[in-house]
Amino acid sequence: MANLVRSVAAPAPRTRARDQAAARYLFLVPYLIVFLLFRFGPIAGGWLISLTRWNLIGSPRWIGVANYRALWHDSLFWVSVKNTLAFTAMAGPMLILGGLALALLVDQPLRGRYLARVLIFAPYAVMSAVVGVLWNWLYDTNFGIINYYLSLLALPSVPWLINEHVALVAIVLTTVWWTVGYNMVIFLAGLQEIPTELHEAAIVDGATFWQRFRSITLPLLTPTTYAVVILTLINTGQVFDQIYVMTAGGPGTATLTLVQYMYYQAFQTYNLGYGAAVAYATFAVLLAVTLVVHRLFRREAAA
Amino acid sequence: MRKAIAFVVCMALGVLLAAQVHAAAPLELTFWGGWTGPDGDVMRAMVDQYNARHPDVQVTLTTLQWTPLFDKFLTSMRAGEGPDLMAMHPQDTAQFIEGGLLEPLTTFGSDVEVKAGDYDKNAWGYSSYKGTQYALPLDFHMHGLYYNVDLFKQAGLDPANPPTTGNALIDAARRLTIDAAGRHPGDPGFDAKNVKQYGLAFPNNHHALYIWFALLYQQGGGFSISGTQVNFDDGQGIAAWKWVEDLIFTHQVVPVGESNPAQDFLTGRTAMLIDGPWQMPAMQKQQGLNWATAPFPSVFGRPAVWGSGHILTIPKQRDRAKQVATLALAQWVVRNSDFWATSGNIPVFRLAAETDRFRRLKGRAAFVSMLPYEVILPNIVKSAQVFSAAAPSPIVQAAQAATLRNEDPATIVRTLRQRIDSVLAAP
Repeated sequence: MANLVRSVAAPAPRTRARDQAAARYLFLVPYLIVFLLFRFGPIAGGWLISLTRWNLIGSPRWIGVANYRALWHDSLFWVSVKNTLAFTAMAGPMLILGGLALALLVDQPLRGRYLARVLIFAPYAVMSAVVGVLWNWLYDTNFGIINYYLSLLALPSVPWLINEHVALVAIVLTTVWWTVGYNMVIFLAGLQEIPTELHEAAIVDGATFWQRFRSITLPLLTPTTYAVVILTLINTGQVFDQIYVMTAGGPGTATLTLVQYMYYQAFQTYNLGYGAAVAYATFAVLLAVTLVVHRLFRREAAA
Repeated sequence: MRKAIAFVVCMALGVLLAAQVHAAAPLELTFWGGWTGPDGDVMRAMVDQYNARHPDVQVTLTTLQWTPLFDKFLTSMRAGEGPDLMAMHPQDTAQFIEGGLLEPLTTFGSDVEVKAGDYDKNAWGYSSYKGTQYALPLDFHMHGLYYNVDLFKQAGLDPANPPTTGNALIDAARRLTIDAAGRHPGDPGFDAKNVKQYGLAFPNNHHALYIWFALLYQQGGGFSISGTQVNFDDGQGIAAWKWVEDLIFTHQVVPVGESNPAQDFLTGRTAMLIDGPWQMPAMQKQQGLNWATAPFPSVFGRPAVWGSGHILTIPKQRDRAKQVATLALAQWVVRNSDFWATSGNIPVFRLAAETDRFRRLKGRAAFVSMLPYEVILPNIVKSAQVFSAAAPSPIVQAAQAATLRNEDPATIVRTLRQRIDSVLAAP
């Protein structure tokens, strides 16, 4: 405070700049305190826990990187890596392309587009546990409404959540229904930022919808697309709730994903240190995937 | 001056009043249990009754599924915020006792009014650890055979004589399994892809392993854990899995990968069900379902059935008065466990099991008759790791390899042994 008063009294340019910088940091302090306490603290703490053996009942014991070494030889861990990547590979494109397609659709001046936007986004507002229970009923092999409609079409019933080859696909479909509306909203915001003059000019020049889409919409949408792709990859890589409610990782290990496995180790079998190691391995996998995508976008932007 | 006197008098009255209120404030106790079905409602009703009859004590019941409940228990105990009364199963206690979380009952001396002799003789032993009593047993629950009386009659089976052996079970199940054209498994042209009614069902999760576990004992063997080794006979283990797999894949009387066997029994899509007594409240509620129970069949000659039970433990805490009040609460719950039995669980407190209120309850007799043959999982420190009901656990992996994949029984047994041994060997 004294500094500020003095700087007003004697406005030496250098000290003022320094004071302004200090003031800027001062304004950041409330956020930083919360960030350090509730974000960075637990993240760093998790790293330390991953270097210990801790069964939640006793005290943690330092064991260095032994958890990570064990992880390398843990077949269930690799199964969960494979399942997570498979889930991301299936759900990711559907969520991104689906979100874009839906955004393009409800961006058209059609009647009922506002209602359509609400209806598509609505599932996203539903709690994950409710989504899981709801879809468990829909997918039920014997009584589920999905199999009922399949039978009306004379198609065989599908053992959605109990067949090891189908369960993950079933979870993907649920996830797409549940969260595609979120991507649609982001894409829609991006679409509405594109100046209409560009489209009008293109139409005057006789450009078709596809030409406009490829030469105007897509390039100008790149920042939005980048955000949607990264967010989708991170969210699908951390899939947990709907699996926890619907299959709990089963049947067998068909839907065991990384976060599912972390939860199993840390909170179902009390290997807190090992669970933390799984969490950091998950972080590494997601970081690697994100970096690859980041590169691709950079190359695209440069080209 | 007068004002000052009035003020002082008021203050004094206030203090007196506050002291009075304080003396009348009931002792608050917390009670945690993993009862999330109809059983939770029954226990809540019991707690309400206790509160009404004991104005000096106010008990709050918290129910969560067992696994998250134990998470909450462990973390709360670390923070000194644990419950006053904690329900669990006999096989859960070792980990908590070794962690120093539970109070031995011996420390309460003569306050413990219900004794070993008041109980079914197995129950008391199951709730002690290394010779020390740590819990009051509340109930038993074990697998039994439910059957649909109407479907039995339709198939020409005698509902008064439910199957008691493995072969009788398969025979009845075959006659109760019907495809779209009315054929049974084994009939020429039986269409396994188009079955309208199945003879038998059981859960394909950890409960399928419990069936296997009982079948080991039926062959005269057993299942135990010593140090870093699991002990059971490979030959018996293979025979047991083979019998389970044959029901599904050879005799085709059990649906593959059924998501909700109990629900299918309730609606008459399956004629028999192997499950625990906790299903009985739902059966009683189901309109038009004519059901009955029978003991778990003896497949390999000797009777043996998987079982467990609920026990009441008193966690360690500084407030001795609370612990003593908690013990009184626990003893009241045990003494009134004939009411708890409406939740399906079988009381182990003799006087409660002998009341008319309990005996009038439908379907319980078959379960009670199995009490002497109940075998329970070993109570080990690593029970959460070995016996977790979560999908990646060794026992669920084995159960699903058999019930969903029809894997070679020898492979299942070998993998199960390896997985359990490696969990036990891990530091």
